[in-house]
Amino acid sequence: MDRFAFVLRRPLQLVPVLIGISLVTFILVQLMPGDPVRVMLGPRASEEAIRIVRARYGLDQPILLQYGYYIVNVLRADFGRSLAFRAPVIDVILARLVPTVCLLVYGLVLSVAFTVALSIAAARRPGAWVDQTVRLFCVAGLGLPSFWLGLMLIMLFSLRLKLFPVSGFGDSLPDVLWHLFLPALTIAIAVTPILTRNLRATLVTQSAADYAVAGRSKGLSENYVFFRHVFPNSLLPTISLLGIVVSFLIGGTVVVETVFNVPGMGQLMVRAVLLRDYFIVQGVTLFFAVGVVLTSFVVDIVTVALDPRVKL
Amino acid sequence: MHRRSFLQSAASIAAVSASPLFGRRARAQGKNVLRMGFADEVLTLDPIKTVYGPDILIQGIMFSRLLRASADRKQLFPGLAASHEISEDGKTYTFKLADAKFSDGSPITAEDVAFSYTRMRFQKDSAYAGPFTALEKTEAVDSKTVVMHLNKKFTPFIQNVEIWNSGIVPKAAVEQLGDDKFAQTPVSSGPFRLVEWKKGDRVILEKNPNYYRPGLPYLDGIEILYVPDDNTRVSMLRAGEIDMLLGAPYQLISQLAAEGFQATPEPSSIINELLINHSTEPFNNIQVRQAVSLGIDRQAIADAVTLGLGKPASSLMAPVLNYFNTDLPVPVRDVAKAKELLAQAGKPNLSFDLLISAGLAAEERTAVLIQSQLAEVGVTANITKVDSTQEWNSLVDGTYQATLNWWYNETPDPDIALRWAIWGAGENKSYYTRYNSDKVNELLEQGAAAPEGDGRKAIYYEAQKIAYEEVAQIGLFYPPYRNVYSPKVKDMKLNPGLQFSTIDEVKLEG
Repeated sequence: MDRFAFVLRRPLQLVPVLIGISLVTFILVQLMPGDPVRVMLGPRASEEAIRIVRARYGLDQPILLQYGYYIVNVLRADFGRSLAFRAPVIDVILARLVPTVCLLVYGLVLSVAFTVALSIAAARRPGAWVDQTVRLFCVAGLGLPSFWLGLMLIMLFSLRLKLFPVSGFGDSLPDVLWHLFLPALTIAIAVTPILTRNLRATLVTQSAADYAVAGRSKGLSENYVFFRHVFPNSLLPTISLLGIVVSFLIGGTVVVETVFNVPGMGQLMVRAVLLRDYFIVQGVTLFFAVGVVLTSFVVDIVTVALDPRVKL
Repeated sequence: MHRRSFLQSAASIAAVSASPLFGRRARAQGKNVLRMGFADEVLTLDPIKTVYGPDILIQGIMFSRLLRASADRKQLFPGLAASHEISEDGKTYTFKLADAKFSDGSPITAEDVAFSYTRMRFQKDSAYAGPFTALEKTEAVDSKTVVMHLNKKFTPFIQNVEIWNSGIVPKAAVEQLGDDKFAQTPVSSGPFRLVEWKKGDRVILEKNPNYYRPGLPYLDGIEILYVPDDNTRVSMLRAGEIDMLLGAPYQLISQLAAEGFQATPEPSSIINELLINHSTEPFNNIQVRQAVSLGIDRQAIADAVTLGLGKPASSLMAPVLNYFNTDLPVPVRDVAKAKELLAQAGKPNLSFDLLISAGLAAEERTAVLIQSQLAEVGVTANITKVDSTQEWNSLVDGTYQATLNWWYNETPDPDIALRWAIWGAGENKSYYTRYNSDKVNELLEQGAAAPEGDGRKAIYYEAQKIAYEEVAQIGLFYPPYRNVYSPKVKDMKLNPGLQFSTIDEVKLEG
């Protein structure tokens, strides 16, 4: 079990990372021009009402003092109150967490399914027409911006074929799967090419590796060699890459959530920045940071579990 | 788990999720639920805490007022007050309440009305007490009679009791829950009451069974969905996921109408304008103001920005308001005259900074048109894009030269409008332009005290004429609302004061 020991110590590294992130976001947010209270009360609100609300949230205090209060509160697991929603930040974020997590997981499941299918199809016969088609798809998928692709999917599948809804999240699991299909597909179309290129290349290289040749020479069938030996040995680089892609996606669901109107964290972040909702911006950033660190933690564990050679 | 079986199960999950056969909309939606798509998010349900567009709309739906407006807001009918009387000196208003209940079943008493008005008028964080400054005291004489004492004769007052923030709230519930909690889970007095507020997603309202107008509302409920993306909002309307939307892009309106949607632009009280700072160079000079005004082609801007749906501006308030001065012509562009005025002012090579909000396409288009039109007059407008709240701060602090902005007015009476736009004695210093004409200030006080009729009309005509001649601001155009409704929606209208005042009579058919 001691090859896991180092991995299990990883969460400790989270502490300095989070302190650094909180300081940077706090400063950046304070540097943003603009006034949250004026946005949320509306421009015609009286100056006195604006002054009072500003004081209530401590926004009239010196910045260093505000940061001090913030850190002390965060240590007590109090992330402050959202200026715009007049509700605890943690409640606002938790309400948005589920749609984003569902969307991410759904998108990744589709991406992994597509990646495995396409990579295998392409790598079995490198250079054949299937391989070329997959390559074409990868180039196209990498080039399509998500907001455009999302709109096209809405026009085709929602408005013309009426198979999927344009927007929303859903209530039960099948309902959620139905509502999030198009957004998850949009994510999958963006992610699959990245993973497929990687997995296909590894599969092709590994197919010519000594152990594969040895297997074939002792009479194993091509299928057996491929699925029993080549494929498992090719997964590791793609899993590392998947970890990076997930980290990237955690902050990158903004566009997809906006186009499909999924009430998730990405949309919340955009809204909070526009409304200058300082505490939400800080809270969401911390959540994203934790998500990224957790992802790399999970990838480490999976890597160690899959490959006995890995020693960290 | 064996690796292969893991892959197999992952594949089968993916296959299942790809199937559209699962789950045809599980959400239980009564068929009579109106779904509205808003571009901005509801932030509070307490009517005194905000002047923010989406909040105003939903609060107007949830809280009834003493008087009720017609769909076009031109007429006022008895609301929670069955009748009212105004004293001879115009300083005492007596309202007799109808039999009515809050959404929790408790009766709406004079005590609640006095509480609501005192709170809205005097609570320090009340965001929009301005229209009610004449109100000194509200008292409950008996359970059905409310008396309001004004400190002066104030003709517009009777219209102001229809403004959304004078909605009646229950004293008991507000005191028991406290302001913050009430703003999240209010007890309402209007046709609809809160079921659930899913922050960042939607607000779900249902029919208030205790609503005071018998047999109403017709709808079983309303869902207000927050859909920030313009294209997504339109797609949702087309797919039938919402029944109406606020703010369609101009370029899609005729197309949506052709597809069978109700997309006739509704008149608003909005005016888009160029605000100029009278307290600094160069707009403290009247010849410069006149020259810039003459250098701008309002019709061209209205055509380009609203695609012909808006009208060029003459006065500094919208034409739907009472006593709008119809004698003032839209200024006709005159490049030669503008150059001459600039020469007289000794500023032939004038240049100024034009502040605009980044990211608002219509504002950017307007700014570029102004820039190119003024270039022909020899004036250089340097467009500076800033964040919208920064623009507001510059406006409030007076650290700008010129900026684009817009506003709307709650009532048909011009009092609030002109006090907002050209009343130098007000808190906002003539919409932060620092325009201050003693004559105009005096006229506005006279107008507020004058009885309705030709005398009052002459006063407001005069005030508008002075502001027009002195170029207090440069009005650009009057845009319509751009709401689009599904053909199922019957009798729904947004009045010029930004209220769905007959939402209780709206029906869904088919």
